[in-house]
Amino acid sequence: MSFKRKVTSKTAVLPGTRPSPGSIATTITSTGIPSLDDILGGGLPLSCSLVVAAPDPHSSYGELVQKTFVSQGLACKQDVLVVGGYQNALDWVKGCMWFHSSASQAEETGEDEKPADEDQKIKIAWRYEQMKQFQTTVGSTSVSEDFCRIFDLTTRIPAHTVEKALQSGQLIPCDVLDAESRSESVTQRVLDCFEEVLSQRSSKATTTPLRICIPGFGSSAWGDLRSQDILRFLHRLRSILQRNPSVCASISLEPHISTDAWGGQGWIQKLGWMCDGLITLDAFTINPSLSTLFPSHHGMVHIHTLPSPHTLLSPSDRFSTLRGLAASATEGGSSSGENNLAFKCTRKRLIFETMHLDVEGGVGERRTTPAANTGVLDSEHMHTNLQSQSSNTNAPVSKAALASVEVKVEVEVEPLPLRQSHVTTSPTAPAAKVPSYDDARASAVQEDSQAPKVRPKKPKKTVAFRSDRPDLYDF
Amino acid sequence: MFSPFDLPIPISILITDELSSPADFALHQYLISHIKEKKNSLQIVLSVSEGLTRWQSISAKSNIDLPKQIAAETFHLIDVTSALESDKVASGSTPPSPFHALYEQIVSLFEKNKAAGRDSDALVILDDISSLEWVGYSASDLCRLCRALRALCLKNQATLIIRHHLVQTSGEMDPLFRHLHALCMYHLDVQPLTSGRSGAVSGQIALHPGPNAFSTLPSLVKVRSRSAALQYRLTDGNAVFFERGSSRGVL
Repeated sequence: MSFKRKVTSKTAVLPGTRPSPGSIATTITSTGIPSLDDILGGGLPLSCSLVVAAPDPHSSYGELVQKTFVSQGLACKQDVLVVGGYQNALDWVKGCMWFHSSASQAEETGEDEKPADEDQKIKIAWRYEQMKQFQTTVGSTSVSEDFCRIFDLTTRIPAHTVEKALQSGQLIPCDVLDAESRSESVTQRVLDCFEEVLSQRSSKATTTPLRICIPGFGSSAWGDLRSQDILRFLHRLRSILQRNPSVCASISLEPHISTDAWGGQGWIQKLGWMCDGLITLDAFTINPSLSTLFPSHHGMVHIHTLPSPHTLLSPSDRFSTLRGLAASATEGGSSSGENNLAFKCTRKRLIFETMHLDVEGGVGERRTTPAANTGVLDSEHMHTNLQSQSSNTNAPVSKAALASVEVKVEVEVEPLPLRQSHVTTSPTAPAAKVPSYDDARASAVQEDSQAPKVRPKKPKKTVAFRSDRPDLYDF
Repeated sequence: MFSPFDLPIPISILITDELSSPADFALHQYLISHIKEKKNSLQIVLSVSEGLTRWQSISAKSNIDLPKQIAAETFHLIDVTSALESDKVASGSTPPSPFHALYEQIVSLFEKNKAAGRDSDALVILDDISSLEWVGYSASDLCRLCRALRALCLKNQATLIIRHHLVQTSGEMDPLFRHLHALCMYHLDVQPLTSGRSGAVSGQIALHPGPNAFSTLPSLVKVRSRSAALQYRLTDGNAVFFERGSSRGVL
């Protein structure tokens, strides 16, 4: 028997792409947001579409995702087709963000994360000081810089870059309002535009990936779209993408069509079936109480469906750190399910991260009070209380109906070790065991050393839970 | 056929699923087991949303060479949307039924299969009918198509699988679902977990008898209600089934 060494085929690597970690057949490209790439399982697969629904009318996070998508495409030398809605496509692209030079990039990566009062050194207990900082998001894990640039929201794309991309044919603007023919619908005209561009590319045998970006899909410029028109458009687009394996698309929906209120119940689910990936960026500005509740985030991220072009299981389920499904599947322990995800927009970038409750349960103040009928009682007090209650009660409640649970807790106080005792201030530590380190404490220690050796035994604590009603399952 | 339930053939099954628990795995698994068990028979996939690439790559993970099946003319994938559009362009005027040409195409495939002297245990998968309704085809036309397909499959002793997506409606039952349910022998119900997504359990699957279930031997098929649903976990090219409470996360 002879063995042949498995050699990976040397295929030409397309600009700004890499093979998916789960399947060599799948080629992925970055959205420009590393944390969104992680949610998608490494990036957006070519031949797939991603729809971003942003129901909040007071913000434009969906458009921000689209701008990053376009910037990333231009930065990594991919072809970009932008559909202009209420705004001219070219003007819209001029408002996209850009990145700094690689030298300063590394310095700026974590700038937003630094607290304002960094100079004030916080004293951390020695045992926690060496611990790794709790991570709620992921950074760019790409080896090559081209795959995912780190864009700065405060930096605009240089005008000469846009001009150059336009002249070289890298940037293809497509304005829905510019189309001459009024006989057919806007969606049909846009689809025809896609078909035309793709046929030109196939005639030139272009292999460079093409990104189709549709910001504000369903805006007034698109005319009076019915739910059926939107679904048909997405379905047709999906079939175009399946026929062209080097093309991917990202679409953001207008706020008014991003909820079930517009298309009827199940509208979002229908949208999810018509595209490869659908996420909702549910900003908190629509509900001020939520922004008070979660001050460090700007909205929730809901994942409806994610692309899986060559597998049954979405690559995201296996490789997404933020979603956390992979850990629960592989470790096999008590799987905690999917993480809650949120997003925040800092001064420089949009970040998707896991959302956790605060230490106090997600609120700044304690909202619950101890239950009135539950408490820690002394054993004697409890018995007297029970007796008095049972004697005083004339109600027809039998003794069997009174469910009572007694939990006895014995607390044995151990003397603390010598090397720790000098730092402790706990009242439970007996002073007799403290060695005399300084003169000030010496006298106190001497006094205590004369105290009887027998420690007073603490009374046994008993916790009682009572209910004056028969248990539901008490037969 | 279809290992967790051992369904007999020929049969007509309605598969329903939801967005967070797509029943792709059931269709692919049915196709794969059909190709493996009935090597010389016909398989027709009427695909509305999925391309050939995905069918090929998932089958390849189970050592099924679909291009070879296509070359042997035992496997046919018809892109329904493209077929309907090309029919519209070709006919010029509105045909009596938008699915008439599509139906004729399927009939011709059956005739070719018969002429080639292949096995009669064919498989027809319609994936999916809901998308066709959502993009504007009327429910009555779709019902007629399904009725015609069922009659054709009964005549040719073929298995028919129809996939329908369930979406939340305000308490009213989907009329298309009602029609499809009336046609089927069994209803395979794929549902997500109410507790949300998990890496250890992808969803659960129940099997209900349909109105036409009497035509098969009831003792052969063990139906499962939702309360006794079988759970599954997806892998890249397959699904692993297990009883409730016996997932890796629990044991």
